[in-house]
Amino acid sequence: MATSPSPFLDPGTHSAPNSLGILQLRRDHLIPTVLSSSTDSDYVEGKVENTRFGSFPHSTLIGQPWGTQILASVVDTGSRGSKSKKRKRGDTEGDSPSTPGTHETKRDIAKAAIASSGFVHLVPPTPETWTLCLPHRTQVVYTPDYSYILQRLRVRPGDHIIEAGAGSGSFTHAAVRAVFNGYLGEDGMFDSPKNSDRDGTNHILKKKRSRCGRVYSYEFHAPRAKQLRAEIEEHGLSSLVRVINRDVYEDGFCLDSEAGIDSAPDADVIFLDLPAPWLALKHLTRSRPSTAVVKSITTYSNPSTPSAEGSESSPQALPTEKLFRSPLNPNNAVRICTFSPCIEQVTKTVSALRSLGWLEIGMAEILSKRLEVRRERIGLQEEGLRGANASAATVSEAVQRLRDVEGRAKVFHGLQKEKQEEIMRRAETQKRGEKIEPFKEENKGKGKLYKEGRLVHRTEPELKTHTSYLVFAILPRQWTKEDEEKARKKWG
Amino acid sequence: MHSYIRPNSHIALRLPSGIVKIHKIVPNTTINIGKFGTFPANLLLGRPYYLTFELLDKENGRSKTELRIVPASELHAEALGGDHATPAESRDDSASAEGGAEFDIVGDDGEVIMRSNRLTIDDPSRQTLAMEEIEELKKAGAGSGKEIIAKIMASHLGIDEKTSFSLAKYTLRKSKKYLKRFTVLPLDVGLLNEYVLDKEGYKIMDLREESLGLISSWANIHCADASRVLTADDDIGQIGGGRWLVIDDTGGLVVAALAEKMRILYPEEDEEDQTLQEGEDINQDQNGEGDSAEDAKELQQETYQNGTTPPKSDPETKETDPTSPTSTTRIPSNPPPPPCKPPRQHIPQSTAQTNSLTVLHANNQPNLSFLKYFGFDTGNPTTKHPLYHNLKSLSWLQLLYPHEDPSYDEPEVVADDVLATFKSSKRGNYYKKRRRWERTSRIVNETRRGGFDGLIVASAMEPASILKECVPLVKGGGRIVVYSPNVEPLVELCDYYSKDRRAAFVSKQMETNASINRKAVKEVKKEDNEANGIVGEDEDEDFPVNPTLLLAPSLQTARARQWQVLPSRTHPMMTSRGGAEGYLFTATRVLPFEGKVEARGKFRSKKRKTGADSSVQA
Ligand SMILES: C[S@@+](CC[C@H](N)C(=O)[O-])C[C@H]1O[C@@H](n2cnc3c(N)ncnc32)[C@H](O)[C@@H]1O
Repeated sequence: MATSPSPFLDPGTHSAPNSLGILQLRRDHLIPTVLSSSTDSDYVEGKVENTRFGSFPHSTLIGQPWGTQILASVVDTGSRGSKSKKRKRGDTEGDSPSTPGTHETKRDIAKAAIASSGFVHLVPPTPETWTLCLPHRTQVVYTPDYSYILQRLRVRPGDHIIEAGAGSGSFTHAAVRAVFNGYLGEDGMFDSPKNSDRDGTNHILKKKRSRCGRVYSYEFHAPRAKQLRAEIEEHGLSSLVRVINRDVYEDGFCLDSEAGIDSAPDADVIFLDLPAPWLALKHLTRSRPSTAVVKSITTYSNPSTPSAEGSESSPQALPTEKLFRSPLNPNNAVRICTFSPCIEQVTKTVSALRSLGWLEIGMAEILSKRLEVRRERIGLQEEGLRGANASAATVSEAVQRLRDVEGRAKVFHGLQKEKQEEIMRRAETQKRGEKIEPFKEENKGKGKLYKEGRLVHRTEPELKTHTSYLVFAILPRQWTKEDEEKARKKWG
Repeated sequence: MHSYIRPNSHIALRLPSGIVKIHKIVPNTTINIGKFGTFPANLLLGRPYYLTFELLDKENGRSKTELRIVPASELHAEALGGDHATPAESRDDSASAEGGAEFDIVGDDGEVIMRSNRLTIDDPSRQTLAMEEIEELKKAGAGSGKEIIAKIMASHLGIDEKTSFSLAKYTLRKSKKYLKRFTVLPLDVGLLNEYVLDKEGYKIMDLREESLGLISSWANIHCADASRVLTADDDIGQIGGGRWLVIDDTGGLVVAALAEKMRILYPEEDEEDQTLQEGEDINQDQNGEGDSAEDAKELQQETYQNGTTPPKSDPETKETDPTSPTSTTRIPSNPPPPPCKPPRQHIPQSTAQTNSLTVLHANNQPNLSFLKYFGFDTGNPTTKHPLYHNLKSLSWLQLLYPHEDPSYDEPEVVADDVLATFKSSKRGNYYKKRRRWERTSRIVNETRRGGFDGLIVASAMEPASILKECVPLVKGGGRIVVYSPNVEPLVELCDYYSKDRRAAFVSKQMETNASINRKAVKEVKKEDNEANGIVGEDEDEDFPVNPTLLLAPSLQTARARQWQVLPSRTHPMMTSRGGAEGYLFTATRVLPFEGKVEARGKFRSKKRKTGADSSVQA
């Protein structure tokens, strides 16, 4: 392969310079960075990633097996003095590293010293990690929604998918993974590499040529389109994703022919995340829609349309002089999903879909949640422990305590003050001591809390209760009398 | 691949009632859709999917059965209730009286709807047309189902009391019952999922489409045909390459879903498929389901036609019968009747180096029976199917204790000249055994070397017991996904990876590091000699898995809430499937230790037998 493959699709065994890597600090705290071995930096250590868990010179991040735990380094922001650099992969999961192992690199950038604490994990980029850390320009589609959308749209390798608007490119990355089946050849097709060909045992299987899966991403906001194009390039996906700066309400989806693809985008699948999807639908037909239909659809559009992104386009009927060209794959049923937060948008979209002959129309919303799992500890012995409930665990525990208190009170009041205090102190220590057998003296108080109490789960504290409504529909292939005649001849 | 209905593929017919029937569409046969009647399969072959057909037969005055394609406009008009479009649909023509009334009813608050419903009398006796009469009507050939409905509607008492709201509902109900229509859908994974879920959800662990989508995303499943073959530092183990390890107790539904996204599910996957054409490729498909022996024959013939002979040097083709063209002259005593018994060429199975699924199974054979709908039978796979090359399977015994499995032991090699003296059946047997061994040992060895891109589990087995063995086989940065219909097993699993437990594990590890190391050196040596059991029973109940191997373990669930979208009647469906909610555990494999052993999934000295264990506890 001429160019090196995208780290999203084939990250290789180790992190490499000039390729995207993700620093994972916490479950939802990730930092994307294009790794650089360049010395062109304010830091003597070269390019440095500064995080709340410490500083990470890229020299400590490059050439590591993916998934490696990387320890923070001491980076002096002021001085340019050379330091001795040590690198290691931690063998503990604690915040503090143990003894550093050394590792030499031949760069002439200064070596960074291991900091006394802090680490991250270096993971390869995936659409899921990217969605969590991409620079937001717009609302984005998150994993629970896009995974259902791609599943239900039956997006498969080799498909061509239209996406509008591209926004921040979250959906774009999930879509390109779904359609990817190889890198584009000169003619828009590629020779599918049959593994069996490699060892020569399967020469009998005909080598077949397939269409290369692609994403056509439309965005009318020029700076957003530009930024997405840059990211796509940086991610090694530019031969698979074409970003088009265009107003799709106005100008539709057809493209000039590009390398070997005459009828781009030749789409099998469409995803519309636009304020007024129905205005785009008139461009997504197999033949020129009648002016009456176009009119009826575009009249839904009124100023009250929730056009958060400020779509100023005034809907127009298609220019009738131009030769009609369909952006759809004529040989396949085309599947569509529109993604809209408001029910009024859904009504208009569905109505337009019906007028344009789409079938299998359905609507759904995805309710997803994450669950937290923890141990709930209840009981008198928990007194003073963090995250526990120190009330009586059972009725008998409550009764016992009441008795104790009563009994002790009787004795207690007959004692002198110093004696009284000592008893109090002893009782406190006892409470914990009874329940927990510490395994080491220094571990006292820690015990095996990880297996105590009752295992419970509950919904995460902040819940997304609504993202958008998903409208799905299918436009079958066009089937003419002649087609039917042909089929009848062939099959009877 | 679903651009038109291909011969011998499985298709789904959805009847107006919503019932789905699956048929294998074989040319020149008849398809029976129950009380609706029958029609020739050839009327569907070569036609596109997603069309709705109406069956026209002698009831409709036809001499032979015909299928009429029902246009989208007609379907929509009916879905919207009655033959009149609703206001939203027909701004140009004057909204009909009913349309206006309908708008009023639903435009008001819920109470009004209730009141109008209360006016109608829900009494079946008010329907004057008896069932017999309806049957009568049908037999008399009084016309299409629609006319019957019109008659029933007209003779229905109290029809005027009904609001158009309930009238629409009523019409819909009747249509479903009598219209002789069906929609042809491609049998893809989504549809199969729905179909099985409806009937026998337990067979697929009640897995819903939402979960399939999530599994594929979180496992980073994609087509990795173009991935590089990369080896680990020791040049033996492979790292990545789009290889996923799967434990599937859903009868192959999960495997099918993954395979679909890897482009190895559909037999005709590789076809250019640009146009629905011409005879050859369609006719060729007719043989699509031949058994492997036949395939081999065919393939062999093709080879001859091309004038190619199987490469002699290739070990995989050693077994080529000596009666192949080159050798027939040498053994004239055994001249085969040329067309009847062409020698076979063996195409080795499961050899794909990239873009593959490795299935671990608890029985002798994997249960992947749902793959039959996609033209793949694990018991008798056809070489034409991509899964023949890209699906690998092994049992837990083969993974963990390969030497206890007889198929892992190399059968004795017989010299060629000795082999020539064998009877052909004996020789066949010999080759069969050799091939089986080659395949098994190849799969077992490569699986044990690990480096997988991810692990996908949908199993009734205890998740921790699976993860304990499989997580080390996943490459750093690889994805772990565990599906469970119920939350409890995954809650427990999360607990095994909890922060507190991990901290305890680490401190314990540090405490006992020295002693473990001392013992481990001895252990490893012993194990190497045994080259056996790569795991032992870990008696440490507190740490059923190594909690430091996974990053960000998370638990989630998702459900799609389906809506009805009709003009002025848009609302969530009133009922939907209950039962198992379906949960997903996800995490990323990380490398907490320095050491190449771990990264390649080679088993560390994890076999802590009693001796080592006691030192751990100490
Ligand atoms: C919500 S964002 C899409 C987010 C995206 N799906 C993601 O996952 O990152 C909607 C985008 O549509 C763009 N847009 C709105 N109207 C458009 C039009 N007529 N043509 C092209 N893009 C449009 C907006 O500029 C905005 O960036």
